[in-house]
Amino acid sequence: MDCSPKNPAARRYQYRLFTAMAFYIAFLVTAVWAFSRYHVTGALAYLLAVLPALPIVGMVVVVGLYLAEEKDEFQRAVLVQSLLWGIGATLSVTTVWGFLENFVQVPHLDLYLVFPLFWFFVGISTGPLKAKYK
Amino acid sequence: MLCSFKNPAEHRYVIRMWIMAAFCVLFSFVAALVFRLCHPHGVLSYLVAVLPALPIIGALVYTGVYLAEEKDEFQRNLLVQSLLGGTGGILAVVTAWGYMVDFAHAPQMDLVWVYPLFWLFAGISYGIVRSRYR
Repeated sequence: MDCSPKNPAARRYQYRLFTAMAFYIAFLVTAVWAFSRYHVTGALAYLLAVLPALPIVGMVVVVGLYLAEEKDEFQRAVLVQSLLWGIGATLSVTTVWGFLENFVQVPHLDLYLVFPLFWFFVGISTGPLKAKYK
Repeated sequence: MLCSFKNPAEHRYVIRMWIMAAFCVLFSFVAALVFRLCHPHGVLSYLVAVLPALPIIGALVYTGVYLAEEKDEFQRNLLVQSLLGGTGGILAVVTAWGYMVDFAHAPQMDLVWVYPLFWLFAGISYGIVRSRYR
């Protein structure tokens, strides 16, 4: 999980994650370009819209693979707990914001922002969790 | 897990979740009623709007408390893996849906659905993970 991972599972994780990110950028640029140029409609529009989400799904799978492959129990435990804190915080924020949207008409939170929001919370919780075990 | 209480931690968890569910229903009614009858403005409207989200956050906290209290490692692992499965499922769906809304003008998904949808995916993964250990 560090910048220069020492174990093979973490190395594979980083490699797969960067590959998925590269696909995400490529697919997002393709979708934006196609929609701005061709005014796609119908089923093709849905297929093209889903394109940038595929590498995101890939990233989720990559994290699952890492958890299955990681031999270092400490690293695995820290990541699992960070992910749980991340989803707890994300669900809290989306629920609060959802009720605010329904009752008070606050600005709409785009659904694709849930994924970066989740990782933001995972990132925040990783530090304190690592410090707790030191 | 919901029908049979095998240990005290599980028993407490189920009772706490039912209490939170009851509060959620109650607070939703109260919020809807207040907005319909009193038309609150300003800070008060935000406070009333957030009211139904509080038991949901409570349910998330109690899930964390259950994970901390559960002595049976198998049951804890089962729930952790289900929650991670639910996390992956919900992130994949909201991201894909978010891009479909943005690019293909698919119908908006209310943010309050993220939480129940997460538990749907967690429930599905619970069944899958449990069957894997049989």
